[in-house]
Amino acid sequence: MLKVEINRTLPGFKLDVALSVNGEVLGILGPSGSGKTMTLLCIAGLIHPDSGFIQLNDRVLFDSSKKLNLQPKDRNVGFVFQNYALFPHLSAGNNIAYGIRHQPKKEVDRRVQLLIENMGLSGLQNRYPSELSAGQQQRVAVARALAPEPDILLLDEPFSALDSLTKEQLEMQILDLRQFYKGHIILVTHDLAEAYRLSSRIAVYDTGKIAQCDLKEKIISSPVNRTVARITRFRNFMDGVITGITNKQVRVTVPDLDTSLIVAADGHTNLSINQAVTIGVRSEHVQAVAGPGQNTLQGTLSSTVENLASINCWFDLKTNKDNCYRLEAAFPRGTAATLSDGANCYLHLPPEQIVIITK
Amino acid sequence: MNDYLSPLWISLKTVLATTAITFVLGIAAARWISRYTGKLKPVIDGIFILPLVLPPTVVGFGLLLFMGKHGWGGKFLALFNTSIVFSWPATVVSAAVMAFPLMYMTTRGAFEQVDTNIENAARTLGASEWKVLYSVTLPLAWPGVLAGTILSFARALGEFGATLMIAGNIPGKTATIPVAIYFDIVDGNMKQANILMIIVIGIALTSLALLAYLKRPKPRSSGLVANPVPSDILAAGKKRDISS
Repeated sequence: MLKVEINRTLPGFKLDVALSVNGEVLGILGPSGSGKTMTLLCIAGLIHPDSGFIQLNDRVLFDSSKKLNLQPKDRNVGFVFQNYALFPHLSAGNNIAYGIRHQPKKEVDRRVQLLIENMGLSGLQNRYPSELSAGQQQRVAVARALAPEPDILLLDEPFSALDSLTKEQLEMQILDLRQFYKGHIILVTHDLAEAYRLSSRIAVYDTGKIAQCDLKEKIISSPVNRTVARITRFRNFMDGVITGITNKQVRVTVPDLDTSLIVAADGHTNLSINQAVTIGVRSEHVQAVAGPGQNTLQGTLSSTVENLASINCWFDLKTNKDNCYRLEAAFPRGTAATLSDGANCYLHLPPEQIVIITK
Repeated sequence: MNDYLSPLWISLKTVLATTAITFVLGIAAARWISRYTGKLKPVIDGIFILPLVLPPTVVGFGLLLFMGKHGWGGKFLALFNTSIVFSWPATVVSAAVMAFPLMYMTTRGAFEQVDTNIENAARTLGASEWKVLYSVTLPLAWPGVLAGTILSFARALGEFGATLMIAGNIPGKTATIPVAIYFDIVDGNMKQANILMIIVIGIALTSLALLAYLKRPKPRSSGLVANPVPSDILAAGKKRDISS
């Protein structure tokens, strides 16, 4: 179990986070400059928080109240840097062996061999980092970090420098890691899909704070605020007021659009009539339908962008103000082929796919 | 007759001792200042570099005041019943002070070029600060450290002004080659000056050759690949070679 509660203030930035990891992969998701890497550096002891507490299993690594601060070398934390930071003057094998040189040579050779096999690096042991591809370098970096059998493995955006094909293969490898590495893992990333695939829980960072930390399914299905919703790819937000609550449904009136939307209410217990809320809908959940109906809005198509798997459409919805509301929809390829700019469409927002954001 | 042998011997002793001292002190100072984050950093940095900017005679005069009977250094040495002014150690002190800034500046620059992440990686792998220095920082900064060493060696070999001020020109004791040449010419002893000049050119050329030898590209490659090229490009290149 890793427990972290740290504070660090820099000019114009304040990191103030509390999180815990227990034998799982925790994804830290957030935009650049939100303090993700700083958190990892604090856990590894490479920078010092101003105040706080870090405990790894039964060892206290840092405790500002007791002026306790373990050196990085004594923390037994494995760190994979974003640029891998391999030792350029050592071969792949010697890179991996660096952290276990104090052990008997036989044991060092055995562990290096094992890691080389497990990480799919066979035959590359004598290559120098400059002779390895980015993907191979990353695997050497992971193997090197795992060699001393760390209590926790910290991965700082390990896939950001790779092409998408290599990235997919290496993601599989990280998932396979769990078969022989049983410690905790923290994965820092700015890619939602990557965090979702690799971790079981996700902490969403926003300017030095944890906006939400929960099971990954929860993060996707019920973001606590607009920032989390934005980071988890909700594209459409509308401000509204709750005008009706039954035990199955909530009615939200959106004054700007002169309409009321029905939202499935499961999971929401603390809502009240006249409460101001924001509702969010993912673009892929917007459906084009034939005619008017419940939860259906009318809009004109203003622009489209074709993606590999979907076609993204932006619809202008009439509002009672001067501007119009722009709704983003993503239709599976092939279904929207008949739409052309300026077309009038009916857009259905399924009640069970609308989230209510109370903050 | 063999008057030129004594300046040669004194110079060699002085230069080797100086290079060894500046090597250690320069690395220590560079390491310390590149990790020091206090407000005094520019001041300390300036003090370390000062001898490089001052005229050597000024440095020599300063050292004379400091190491003399009434200076702090002199008083300290007097506690041990010793004094270094106008003795051989003074040639080392003056040359070391003059050569130190070159070693310090070059090494510091080389240390700051080393990727902090690589040093940090070593720390997370259980390396002590000492191990980080000798197993990561020094090997990666080695070309710069070597350049600094050669520069301070050259500076020490050519040191004249400060040495003359604090060590003087005592034949067989403190007269290094540059000092001896000067006084040979003043005394009209041209043959002696010529021989010393040829010797000093010889030392300079030898050390340059040594530098070139030490600076040759390190085999940072497994020998499997001639250049740091991704393996697929290399494979393509090999195929071309076969077909041509």
